Amino acid sequence: MDRVDAPESLRSQVTVTQERSLRALFSSGKKKPDKRHKHIRVAFFRYCYYDPAFKFFVEQVLNAEYLPLPPATRRTDEIGTQNSTDYVCTPFKHILGDFADALEAGANVIVQFGGPCRLGYYGELQESILHDMGYDDFRMLNFSRGLEGSAAVAWTKECLKQVNPDINVPKAALRLIPLANMTTKLDAAMDFYLANAGFEVEPGSFDRAWEAFMDDMRTATDDKAVNEVYARTMDRFRSLPLNKPADPIRIGIVGEMFTAIDARANLGLDHKLLAMGVELHRMMNLTNRFVRYNEGNLRLSASEYIRYDMGPTSTLTIVAAKRYAEEGFDGIVHAKSAGCTPEIDCEPVLQRIAQDHSIPILYLTYDAQTSDTGLDTRLEAFYDMLAMKKQKGSRL
Amino acid sequence: MRSEVMNIETIGIPQALLTYRFHLMWKTFFNELGLTVIESRPTDSALLARGDSLSSDESCLASKVFIGHVDDLIDRVDAIFVPSYASVSARQGFCTKYQALPDMTANIFRDSHTPIVSLLIQDMSNAKEAQSAYIQLGEQLGRDKHKAKHAYKTALKAQRAADAQAVKAQELQLKKVSRLRQSAQEASAAGPLVILVVAHPYISHDAYLAGPVLEALMETDAYILFADETDKKKAFKESFRFTETMPWLISRELIGSILMLQDQIDGIVLISAFPCGPDSMTNDAIMRYIHGTPILNLMIDAQSGTAGIQTRVESFMDILRFQQKGGYLHG
Repeated sequence: MDRVDAPESLRSQVTVTQERSLRALFSSGKKKPDKRHKHIRVAFFRYCYYDPAFKFFVEQVLNAEYLPLPPATRRTDEIGTQNSTDYVCTPFKHILGDFADALEAGANVIVQFGGPCRLGYYGELQESILHDMGYDDFRMLNFSRGLEGSAAVAWTKECLKQVNPDINVPKAALRLIPLANMTTKLDAAMDFYLANAGFEVEPGSFDRAWEAFMDDMRTATDDKAVNEVYARTMDRFRSLPLNKPADPIRIGIVGEMFTAIDARANLGLDHKLLAMGVELHRMMNLTNRFVRYNEGNLRLSASEYIRYDMGPTSTLTIVAAKRYAEEGFDGIVHAKSAGCTPEIDCEPVLQRIAQDHSIPILYLTYDAQTSDTGLDTRLEAFYDMLAMKKQKGSRL
Repeated sequence: MRSEVMNIETIGIPQALLTYRFHLMWKTFFNELGLTVIESRPTDSALLARGDSLSSDESCLASKVFIGHVDDLIDRVDAIFVPSYASVSARQGFCTKYQALPDMTANIFRDSHTPIVSLLIQDMSNAKEAQSAYIQLGEQLGRDKHKAKHAYKTALKAQRAADAQAVKAQELQLKKVSRLRQSAQEASAAGPLVILVVAHPYISHDAYLAGPVLEALMETDAYILFADETDKKKAFKESFRFTETMPWLISRELIGSILMLQDQIDGIVLISAFPCGPDSMTNDAIMRYIHGTPILNLMIDAQSGTAGIQTRVESFMDILRFQQKGGYLHG
């Protein structure tokens, strides 16, 4: 019986009956209702291919309901851009638009991360702007709060306060392990995709396998399932027919965490490059930046260029570029948001790496207005240059 | 590095960015170690043009100016001091520019032979870390530990005295303003218009960058206060009334100053260097949530002429005068 269809006067009664029938259902069934589960809808902003991991976090760690977002529309970015200041970095605008979409789709809680650059202040300002825009009935799970003390304590408190006070904390903490595992598997599958999808024989075969992978990963609720999905996907990936030359053009993508990875933010950079038939590599992902990140060790491998950590993603950008150069890649693409200070500050270092190893670097800066055709032209010209350079090199 | 800077005699300090916060500390520290400190020349258009051409196109104006100052020192000193101030403290951090500065500078000037002397301070709330970083630097320069420690303590004292002086001067200014206001009221004349200039110190006290704005303000007989000269500790504390998660120490001090002085000022002038990362968010927050005081939001870049600034400052001051007289309701 649907509560909404009942006349106003009966609604409370209907609810009671509904609850009773639910209880009856559970008592006769095998499963006890989870008293710690919270019927609250939690949404993330749109970010790369990590939607299954966000879903896992909300359902398995927070024990709440995950609200997936449909793909962004032109309106998403218009709302984000109109309500931000012009010269704030671009991810801020994308994410603000996402949050507006999420709240319109009925989210009760939206999630924002923190970080040592402007990202650390995203959440608070976005929350205020959303209130100014008229969205009043929501909470933000903001991982920038409470950081005066221990981060682990602050984040736990924030999850309990904003989402679900009944979380079984030790149990939830243990579920971070399969979450990390899922993240590394998503990234590992992406690495294979990037290296090979440019050479598929049957157009669309890699994308179809990837979509199936994402769907399967969304259903995984423990380590075993994550590993099974991954193994199955890799078998499928490896069985796809390839037409890959012995010495393909290899391009490394470096840059900041949002724009270098997120297809919406970089206007489908991966696809555009893969369509030209190249092998892609991208060290920047959540696995390498968080799960396995050891900034000090990483930085040592580029010690002739840098002494200190230069910013949140700088070490990874520089080390990746250096590694691609040393491994004889044909080119590097540096992708960043307009105004991203840490990545702008990496550019003098990248220029030195390019000089020392004579490797071309294409610098791409994205703002909310960047045009698709303009990007195509630049990528084609870059590819042509790399192809000519390679041909010349092989003739010598 | 160690051997390269072991017994240098002169050290250059670029007059930009954090030098405006630690000027006396750095100068005293190196003097106490027996080094001759050479400061870069004041910012001018040629210096900015050099900095601009050496920097990444998209760098902020303040960063380009900094590189211009390094360029002014290069090859005429034995080493240049560029420290790294990082943001381990979530509420007393800096723009990542400060953290990246030594490596960015070293890579830009890689072909020159002037070494960059540096130190790393990760957490501004940790006084011990700062002390040991400076002592280590002293040792790198070939001084013994005790001498370095003494130099640091003397330097810190000098900087604190100068900061206290600035705070005291602002308090005196405020007293004077309130006296002027009272006597104007008694004579039923218009009192002084007090303007709080809110900008990073390397903007507001750089005569080339903020000069046109300050001159335009002075021409209208405005009484100018600087937000960065308010008591920093108090202002920092005060800022938590405005924002919980803002990560930048200097932005917090500026916002705290606005909150502390809001009753005593008639208008606020924000000056930001294009495209300043922290300002892109904090000035947005200020414009949204500081109510009751008119705000003029100015952006300066490498190309800006001064005519536009003058017009905007004049019309802003006209509005304030008009409001002082009672505005539309009582005019």
